[in-house]
Amino acid sequence: MSTAPSTQPTSIPVFRQVLVYGGILALAIALIGMVVGGLTVGGVGVLSALIGTLMAVVFMGITAASILLANRYAGNENSIGAFFGIVMGGWLLKFIVFLVLLLLLKDQPWIHPLVLFLSIIAGVLGSLVVDAIVLFKSRMPYASDVVLPPAPHDD
Amino acid sequence: MDAVTVLAEINGNIATVGYGLAAIGPAIGVGIVVGKTIEGVARQPELAGRLQVLMYIGIAFTEALAFIGIATYFIFV
Repeated sequence: MSTAPSTQPTSIPVFRQVLVYGGILALAIALIGMVVGGLTVGGVGVLSALIGTLMAVVFMGITAASILLANRYAGNENSIGAFFGIVMGGWLLKFIVFLVLLLLLKDQPWIHPLVLFLSIIAGVLGSLVVDAIVLFKSRMPYASDVVLPPAPHDD
Repeated sequence: MDAVTVLAEINGNIATVGYGLAAIGPAIGVGIVVGKTIEGVARQPELAGRLQVLMYIGIAFTEALAFIGIATYFIFV
């Protein structure tokens, strides 16, 4: 019995780890931001810190999620086109949504701009650190995506 | 009408220029990162997994600049 060779790239577990650890970090930064925002500004600061951290981590995570989604089409005839279409399309969509969200949030009375801004920076830098740590610790074999031809039969 | 007068007539929110500046750099950077990854995958498809990871960290560091730049534009205006 022979199983079909996997055409999935070896990067999939790495991106899953990036998303999981990014989520854990988001919780930590959101908690710290909410405490600091609440102590300095009050209830508005708590909400701003929560929204800012969520925005940063969700928008940074969309890249990894889009690569994971695009890898589902690996092995197809147009897999490279689909991959870059999904990843770059996700990137464009992400920035449009980010711009619209900031426009909508900017003049809301329940938002403290400075706390929101600092939370976004903390979330972005924190997720960069998590990405770097996960990628440096990941062990990926060379050339494991290759599909070898079947062994010849001796009959 | 001389150039100084034309420049003085420009009105609107100058922060839109900030958005443009925040978008140009990361857009060029991500374009280079993705383009080079396409080249690499086209040459050696079996390395797609490793190249994707390197591409991801390149995109992450480049887009961080864009996020902070765009957020600055909205928060401090």
